[in-house]
Amino acid sequence: MLKAVIDGIEMELKEKMSILDAAKKAKINIPTLCYEEGLSIYGGCRLCVVEIEGEELLKPACATDIQAGMEIKTHSKKVRNLRKNLFELIIATHNIDCQLNCLTCSRANNCELKNIAEDIGVSKMRLDPIKRGEGIDNSSYSIIREPEKCISCNRCIRKCEEVQGIGIFTTANRGPETVVTTFKNRGMGNVECTNCGQCILSCPTGALHELYQKDIVLDILSDQTKHVVVQTAPAVRVAISEPFSNQAGDISTGQLVTALKRLGFDAVFDTNFTADLTIMEEGTELIERINSGGKLPLFTSCSPGWIKFIEHFYPEYLDNLSSAKSPQQMFGALAKTYYAEEAGIDPEDIVVVSVMPCTAKKFEAKRDEMAGDVDYVLTTRELASMIKSAGIDFLNLEESEYDELLGVSSGAADIFGTTGGVMEAALRTATELITGQELENIDFDIVRGLEGIKKAEVEIGELKLKAAVAHGLGNARRVMEMIKEGEEFDFVEFMACPGGCMGGGGQPISCADNVLEKRQQAIYEIDKQKTLRKSHENPYIKKLYDNYLEKPGSEKAHRLLHTKYKARKI
Amino acid sequence: MVSEKLYLKGDKLLNILDYDFKSIKNALRMGRKETIQKIKDSELKGRGGAAFPTGLKWQLASEVEGEEKFLVCNADEGEPGTFKDRYLLEERPLKVLEGIMLAAFAIGADKAYIYIRGEYTRAIEVFTEIIAAARKNKILDSKIFDSNFKLEIKLVRGAGAYVCGDETSLLNSIEGKRGRSRIKPPYPIQEGLFSQPTVVNNVESLCCAAEVLNPDSEEFANLGIEGSRGTKLLCLSGDLNKPGLYEVEFGKITLQEIIYDLAGGIKAGENLKFVIPGGISTALITAKDLDFPYSYQAFEKRGSSLGSGAVIAVSKKHDLLDLMLNVSRFYMDETCGTCFPCREGNRQINKILKEFKNSGQKIDAELISDIGNTIRLAARCGLGQSSLNFISSVIENYGQELKIGGKIYA
Repeated sequence: MLKAVIDGIEMELKEKMSILDAAKKAKINIPTLCYEEGLSIYGGCRLCVVEIEGEELLKPACATDIQAGMEIKTHSKKVRNLRKNLFELIIATHNIDCQLNCLTCSRANNCELKNIAEDIGVSKMRLDPIKRGEGIDNSSYSIIREPEKCISCNRCIRKCEEVQGIGIFTTANRGPETVVTTFKNRGMGNVECTNCGQCILSCPTGALHELYQKDIVLDILSDQTKHVVVQTAPAVRVAISEPFSNQAGDISTGQLVTALKRLGFDAVFDTNFTADLTIMEEGTELIERINSGGKLPLFTSCSPGWIKFIEHFYPEYLDNLSSAKSPQQMFGALAKTYYAEEAGIDPEDIVVVSVMPCTAKKFEAKRDEMAGDVDYVLTTRELASMIKSAGIDFLNLEESEYDELLGVSSGAADIFGTTGGVMEAALRTATELITGQELENIDFDIVRGLEGIKKAEVEIGELKLKAAVAHGLGNARRVMEMIKEGEEFDFVEFMACPGGCMGGGGQPISCADNVLEKRQQAIYEIDKQKTLRKSHENPYIKKLYDNYLEKPGSEKAHRLLHTKYKARKI
Repeated sequence: MVSEKLYLKGDKLLNILDYDFKSIKNALRMGRKETIQKIKDSELKGRGGAAFPTGLKWQLASEVEGEEKFLVCNADEGEPGTFKDRYLLEERPLKVLEGIMLAAFAIGADKAYIYIRGEYTRAIEVFTEIIAAARKNKILDSKIFDSNFKLEIKLVRGAGAYVCGDETSLLNSIEGKRGRSRIKPPYPIQEGLFSQPTVVNNVESLCCAAEVLNPDSEEFANLGIEGSRGTKLLCLSGDLNKPGLYEVEFGKITLQEIIYDLAGGIKAGENLKFVIPGGISTALITAKDLDFPYSYQAFEKRGSSLGSGAVIAVSKKHDLLDLMLNVSRFYMDETCGTCFPCREGNRQINKILKEFKNSGQKIDAELISDIGNTIRLAARCGLGQSSLNFISSVIENYGQELKIGGKIYA
């Protein structure tokens, strides 16, 4: 322990603590921009500089450890003036003008720069914006880069490299030409980008955002000749209220359904339904592989970011992937066949829209292997924006229920929204189907929580199933390396995003602390409140097999619900 | 009449068979501890510009434990106006080699790198040959001069970035990374090249160390005055009658004598306006204030620094604004682009000066001062922090003439 003084407050602190963290303990907010918890220290923006007694030059609070006896001033006149001047320099590079302005920006209502300006009390702007003349990168099906808004804080670079273990971004050039770009400036669609969108969550400006389809969907909704159906992913219902309430962890399933109906969707269904279906198909595949000595471990295939990752970096393991399509794609396939038949609508007239916590789902919907299943993919953020622009008072909406045929789901489907959820849902069903006995306790705590890699051995009758769960692609790579080195598993759940889908790149940009924990609690709460909590007990799943697909893994099920993947280059 | 003191300068030292390596032999005989003590006693300070005590650096590094240690010779001489290291590498490379060996021996490193500025093609050729000759004559690798000291030297070519003259940027560059400074601490002594304890020394510093340990020049360490020991290579350029490389004893010659006696005064009957004493990252010294002995402390007292030893004389015929634009353009282009104050600050300063030049309207002195302070107080590395030193000093001294006015550094 050591003693130091911060803004006149005497403090006793642990060794090796940054001034930034020490200040937080003293309830002092120091503005930061290039700093992000969980990423390496960059020390580039210098907004967090503080004055240390006896030193003339200012020191960055993020990169300086507190020392015994230090007297620190975090908001002295010298510091405040410097921050204001520095902020003017930063804003000049952000190029706000008539074309690129705050009103049309993707971050209009949660701009970090605006928040910082408020925090440091910016009162004047003396510098003209600098135009670098960089074009928009729209090479990706999922993510758009607007380099003119980029201030080179390097958070996207570090997120991609350090958390996701990929590194599609880099800094190029030097001096005033310094820019963040992709390898050889090829564009995000032409590099190993998995489309996970984690970079969007890290960007403090509007330089990164999803490829918007909200306006096209609004247009189609007003086309009376089209029958527009929508599906909502499990993780959307625990995050969609955040942009309205500015707090995390609320469950708003009912309001979500009402809002979608008010927006004019002809049928509001639930991706949860096809999550239950995924368990039936993937679970059957797992049991088959175990019984027939097929390729193990079996890898889950719900996360399109993970799929593209394995296609690029571990193509030799493609056969380990479950051939089951993701719930989004299963839904699309069924909407245009099963639902079309049941409702007596020409499939040609059906438009399938998804609301996903995910940017990679936009890419997935465009994959050749599954083209046509899903027509448009909206992120949670896009839907929130559509709800706002339709004048819907989201928080005060009455609740409604999903339409039945593809809208009823078990609690096992709800937990697909968090890391460990697919595994737990599969374990619930596999155990009961294999042993023929009802589970006493259906909560598999062993695969819950936010630890990066979870391993579990689960006894299912005589079978000892070795399972692993990884979320975040950095962890996915770690598990792949374990497998390469000979560690044995039977079933592994991989999710591209930290936290799983609830932490997806299409989710609202967090305004609250511990947002992942809060969303996760909400997801488990939904599951707990349901009486139907196992996929194989979903009566509408039974009905689907009885009336249409025959049985899990049938020829028809394979034609509609399964797919292939392909090796991609690095 | 003033004269040079020749230790570092001298006849060409290119033939390894004619060179005795007396300093390193001396050090091998004395042992590491005593070698470091000798350097400490000599009060040798780094000649690259930062003036950190060399002996202390070696001592700290020698005490750090590591899987392995590295000695890196910084030959990325990029400060405009500086050409002393180039001279040493091209004409006296054996002295440089010996300095590298000495430092490596003292700190306990068995691997050394020399990072030479990419444009120095001749120096690279010469030093490549010297390394080859040394290996051939069993002066490198193992059992050097029948001792247990072994040393491998690798030559790395710089790729043309000014910022790589900063030691941590240089280390990144050797590692194949982008040339940008590292956050300190950890200092290179603790975690340097490939995360191992590393000492980075300038070419001239290493040659001075070789002089300190040279039995033939025992007096070297006693030259100069307290706080400024030994000799200094001066790169005299600008509007001088006899520009070139000179070697002077610290404290025994004034800046006045350097300009008017050594370098023969100002060209073509012009009058001197000011002197840039240590490269363009140092504050200018006006023509009225040259009569002081050349030493670290004398420049420090004047808010400047002797920097790398690049003394540039500027006569009255130049347009001050052009000079400032020239320097500003250099820093704008050469900032590594990592920290916002240096990258954006230098860009804006250049823009403001350019607009001032083109429009001739009044310049916002407060704005320049605000940006200047932001860079100096908050930039990430020493190169950034000092990037506005010259421009600020021009405005401070000639503000009225420029119609700018005002003190720049708050």
